[in-house]
This record gives sequence, structure tokens and C-alpha cells, in this order.
Amino acid sequence: MSDAKAGRSGPTTSTYALIPKPANLQCMDLQEYLRTRTAETLEKLYNYPTICLAVYRELPEIARQFVIRILFVEQPVPQAVVASWGSQHYAKEQAASTACLTELNVWRVTAIPGGLSAWELCPTFKKNLKIALLGGGKPWSMSHTLEKDSKPRDIAFLDTYAMARWRCVLHYMVGTGSSNKAQDSEGISPDAVRILLHANLMKRDERDGITITRQGFQFLLLDTQSQVWHFMLQYLDTCEERGLSLPDCLSMLFQLSFSTLGRDYSSEGMSPKMLTFLQHLREFGLVFQRKRKEGRFYPTRLALNVTNKHAAVPAVIAEDDKAQESGYIVVETNYRVYAYTDSPLQVAVLGLFTELLYRFPNLVVGVLTRDSVRQALRGGITADQIVSYLEQYSHPNMKLTESAIKSKSPLPPTVVDQIKLWELERNRFTYTEGVVYNQFLSQADFVTLRDYAQSINVLVHMNERTRTMVVTKNGHDDVKRFWKRYSKSGG
Amino acid sequence: MNKQQDVESNKFSLLVIVLDTNPSQRIVRQNAQLLTQCVDAIIAFGNAHLMQCSQNKLAVLSCHHHATDFLYPLPGKQLDVRQIDGQYEVFSLVEKTVKQRLSHIITNSPKLNTPCESILAGSMAMALCYISRIQRNAAAGVKMHSRILVVTGSNECASQYMTYMNVFFTAQKLGITIDVCAMDKTMSLLQQGCDITGGQYLRLTQLDGLLQYLLWVFLPDPQMRQKLVLPPATKVDYRAACFCHRELIDIGYVCSVCLSIFCKFSPICTTCHTVFKIPGPMPIKPKKKKKV
Repeated sequence: MSDAKAGRSGPTTSTYALIPKPANLQCMDLQEYLRTRTAETLEKLYNYPTICLAVYRELPEIARQFVIRILFVEQPVPQAVVASWGSQHYAKEQAASTACLTELNVWRVTAIPGGLSAWELCPTFKKNLKIALLGGGKPWSMSHTLEKDSKPRDIAFLDTYAMARWRCVLHYMVGTGSSNKAQDSEGISPDAVRILLHANLMKRDERDGITITRQGFQFLLLDTQSQVWHFMLQYLDTCEERGLSLPDCLSMLFQLSFSTLGRDYSSEGMSPKMLTFLQHLREFGLVFQRKRKEGRFYPTRLALNVTNKHAAVPAVIAEDDKAQESGYIVVETNYRVYAYTDSPLQVAVLGLFTELLYRFPNLVVGVLTRDSVRQALRGGITADQIVSYLEQYSHPNMKLTESAIKSKSPLPPTVVDQIKLWELERNRFTYTEGVVYNQFLSQADFVTLRDYAQSINVLVHMNERTRTMVVTKNGHDDVKRFWKRYSKSGG
Repeated sequence: MNKQQDVESNKFSLLVIVLDTNPSQRIVRQNAQLLTQCVDAIIAFGNAHLMQCSQNKLAVLSCHHHATDFLYPLPGKQLDVRQIDGQYEVFSLVEKTVKQRLSHIITNSPKLNTPCESILAGSMAMALCYISRIQRNAAAGVKMHSRILVVTGSNECASQYMTYMNVFFTAQKLGITIDVCAMDKTMSLLQQGCDITGGQYLRLTQLDGLLQYLLWVFLPDPQMRQKLVLPPATKVDYRAACFCHRELIDIGYVCSVCLSIFCKFSPICTTCHTVFKIPGPMPIKPKKKKKV
């Protein structure tokens, strides 16, 4: 608003603040999470072979090839040599991979004789990745000394146990935990509640105690694997406050993630703090332990491949173990949704984006309407989330229809398309921050300034009749400077 | 959570390694230690493949002079391996299983008096069968990429020409890539297979750094290879083996009915029993002149 006041009068400018977008649930994957850590923390984390292995798997594919090729090379490798390993056509992808490796502190630049700069793997990372791949070093846990369990638990048992525990948390979130006491036997601990509050999934309300937030509802729509990962990240955020060390917790989490389902592991040799962590994991259903003091535990499917949602759920190759019968939703082409459930949690989630019509003891009927879906979209839920929720819990019979086999999605394509269209019709605006220039005194001034803005690619909008133009916020300084020079020279 | 990653994680790749363990290979006869070295490299390489992605699958087959056996995974129940050092449990399992099975096979194999060729083509056929079984069991909507890596120090075995060709074309039809790492002689037949299926052929002149070669050339998926610079393909020797003496020939006689190849003219085709009418001199020369 300040420029152009001196000397001859010129255009006035005004800035518009962006309308704040509703806060949505931010789900980070491991890579994004690690990027937010400091270099020292990363260095500490790489002391654990489990973490190195997990980090390696999360790298972009080109980066993985680079790392494995220099893993067994003792000297630093000149940058030019590494660059020559990738094809020129994929230079962009390669640059991204290189940057990723640097950001995660997996490798670093060193100088080699001859004045060239070279890449060198971070020694800790290198050492521990080699241990994970080839052996050596200390075992992750003391499980080889473990005697055979007299009553081993099978996979089916672990699955039901894990899901029951996890559902307990979810039930608590929608406030149905109390009415179902008999079914789930116990509520959740104050610790878990604190994490939910910290994660902003629930908030404390003076009037009705603790209630679920918008992010909380979005959380409910995620698949279980992502839920667990998001929840654990929030847990790790608060673990320092509890006196637990982040590297220890993270390595424990990945140790579970790389364990074999249906096998028992020993908790011998764990520090008291880690045992507390184990008890927390037990509460959320990530591990099964018969008694608190028992020296053995079974990791469950929830803990397995915690960073990779495709790996754990219905095993890729179902050779003998049958996929869980979790589906209960039937969606018809007339937008009707039939859900064979009596769980208040599932009904509550369905109610987020459907208009419920009838309720029977074991069946809920709803219909997807434009209004009900728009209601959900306004609440910050995306169309993809709705579709993936319906896909995830679709009834096994839906997966057998002809169109499902052809298109991979068990839902009728018309319904999927329509939900996406309903979302698109809301996204008619794109927001750009900008500065308005108006009240030009002459057409010539306007044209000069407009042409300048256009030439440096910062013009967002202009109207010749009202002599108004909008430039982007970044371009404002340039245009202002230009205008000052222009008006001084008396143009 | 982004789209690309979703696409990426909905696939997995199966690598079947066919390892030539025939004791009559020249390199093994000269220095038995080399086989141990080779096996170690192969295990590390297999584990590196498993390390790429948690869904990746691995199978290792041993190709002997008399039989082909699975080194990993075991049919039925797997070994019960507990972690003894910092190695990832799954990797330890691979290492233990392969070593145990291999020593079992070597001690139990019949004694060899004369050098005998490896039944590589048969082993590759077995690998194909295994791949198609896994493919059948894969969950719907999951994309599976499979490939076969043959690691051998044997000589060229033209006697298996027919089986080889059947294997190559089946693999091509199923979209399976065949990679070959020749540790001793040039294997021109296998090289043809690589060329047909779009795989990599690499002949090593020395065995030092075998693992590094494997990791460089054979670890990337075929889909990934175009993004990397790999050794350029050399000219492929497309000679065929005749059906009568199993020798590679440049020019030969082809049966007009079944396309069998012979190095010498015979009045009756041994494959389809067609009787050829012209016993006299070949009418080739005048034809050639006409063309020119």
C-alpha cells in the first residue's frame, strides 16, 4: 500500500490473505518422518541394523541401487562415477534420489585426492546395513536362548487378538467403548488417551469431555496399517517426555516389523524402559503377551511391515493362510450401501458419508447421495478416502463379480466415478496469493506495468477496462521496484 | 501416500536363481574353494534382492549333473532358524537353508568318473514351473514380475538345444526375463535366450568380485534397468544346433515340414518322418544365379 505515494500518484496495491484451508490429517511415511529429524538423531538411529534395513527399503529405487553398489566399496566413489551409473533419460529421477540420500544422511560428500568430490556412505549406516544383510554383530533380541513355548499361539489367534485390541482404541474414539464393555472387556489407558489428544485426533471439550476431531474421523477412514503407523509416529513424538529414547523405541518397532508372524520372541535383556514400551505395544495389540511378566511375546500382524501397507495385509501369496473375512459392505450401482454389521463404530464411520436409511439387528442400509458425500467432503474427508474405505471393507462376494475381477476394484465404477466427480465439483478454485494494483492514472502506465509483469511471469490476472492487475506475492517486489524506476524516469 | 508409491507397492518380483553345482565344471575341478565363494556370493545376492522390498520372493535351484533340487525354499515346512547375530532373520534362513541343502546334495550325489554336462535346460524348465505356480497363487490385483538368473561355469551343451529353445520361447511368452552369468566359457545358446527374453548376458573373465558384478548387472529389475547404464549387448551368435549330431552349424538343411535342422542331407526326416523326393544333386546353384 505504500509505494507510488511519493511524487506523482500511481497505482495502489493491496494484499489479500489466503483463506486458511481446513487442517487435514497429515500422514507421513518413514522417509518424510526421518527428514524432519536432525543429522545427529539420524546418526544415532543408524546404530541399529533394523533401522538401516527399514530406511533402505524406503529409499527410491535408483537410490537403493546406488547404495548397494557402493556398500562393498571401501574408498569414497567420485560423484562423476556415481552419476554415470544412471541413464541420461532419467536424470531428474536420479537427482531426486541423490538428494534423498543426502537428506537422510545416508551418504555424504568427501574430497578425494585430485580435488574431486566423492560420495561416501555414512560409516554407521554402512556397517549396520552390512550386518543386517550378511550377519555379524549382536542379535536383535535374545530369542535364540528361548525355550519352546508349551502352548504356542497360532496366527488366527494373534489376528483376532490384535484386531480386538486395536478396535478398542477406535471404539474409544467414537465414544462407543463404554456401551460395549462386555465385548471388549476393557477400555484404554490414560497413556493412549494422551497420545490421541497429542495427535489432535481427539480434543478436550469443557462441555462433553473428550470428543473426536475432524482429523480423528479422517483417521478412522484410513486402513488399519496406516492407522497403526500414524499412531506410532505420534507415540514416538511423545516418547522422549516419558523418558524413553527415540532410537531404542524406533529400533524395537522395526525389530517387530521384521519379525515372523506366529513366532515367539524373548524380552530378555531389555531395559525396564523398553519393557514399558513393550507393555504399551501390548495394549495397542502390536504384540501379544500372556502375562505382563512373561519373558516372551508374539508380534501380531499390526506390527509387521509397519511402514508398508501393502505388504502385511492379506498376505501377498495366500498359500495356506486365508485372508481375514473383514468385508461387510455391499455397494450397489444405485448408490445403496448395505453393511452387515452391528458395530457402532462401523455405523458411525459409514454415517460420515452416507445417508442412513434403515437399521436392523445385523444390517444397516444407507445411500450415497450428493448431499451426504458433500457433507463428508466439507468435513475434510477426501473422495479417495471414502473409496478406499469402501474398497477395503467390501464384502467378499463383491470381489467375485465380473467387473471386480476385471477392474481390480470391487466397487461399481459408476459409484466410484460419481464420488470423485462430487469432489471435483468442489475444487473449482485454485488459490494464489497476490497483490492487487489498481487506480492507474493513465492507460500507458497500466500497459507498461502489465507488460513488465507479464514478461517476468508474475501476472495472475488483469482487467484492462478497470485498469486492475494482480501479481503474485513473489513478484510484487520486482514490480514495485520497476514502477519506482519507471515513475522516477518520468515515463 | 502418494499415487506413485501405491502403484509401486502393489507389485513384487520373484527371482529364481539357477546355480550350476556340477562338480565337472572346469573352475570347480581346478579349485574347489571357488564353489564356496560362488555360493556365498549367490546367497548375499539373493538376500540383496529380498532386501529391496518386503514383498520380493526368492528361490534358488541347484543344477547338478543328475538332478535339479530346490536349495531354497524347502518344500513344505521351512527350517526353524533363530537369530544368532545381527543378520535379519529371513536372510539367515536363506543362508542356512541353501548351505544345508547344498551339502546334502553334494554328499549324496552319485560319484562321477567322467565329466558330465549339467542339465541346465531342465533346471530352467523347473524354474518356469515354479514361477507359474507362484503366479497362480498371487492375490488378485497384485502384479508379479519374475525372472530367472542362471549362474554357470559349464561348457556349451548343444545337446539340449531343443529343450533350451522351448524354455526360451515359453519364458518369452510368459514375460519372464532370463539373465545369464557365465563364469567360464561363452554360452552362445544361453546368450540367445537372454536376447529373446530381454535379459542380460554377462561373461566373467575372473571370479574376483563376483558379488559386485551380480549386484551391478543382475540386481535391478528388468523394468528398472532402462534407468541405469548396464553393459551394452554384444552381438549374439544365433547359430542353431543340428538335430543329428547336436553341433552348432552355420549352414544346414531344414526339413520343409517340421523345420528340423540337419548338418548333412538325409532322405527321411528323423523328426517327422517325411520322405524327401529329390535324392539327386541340389538345385541350389541355378536358383542363385537366377536371383543375381
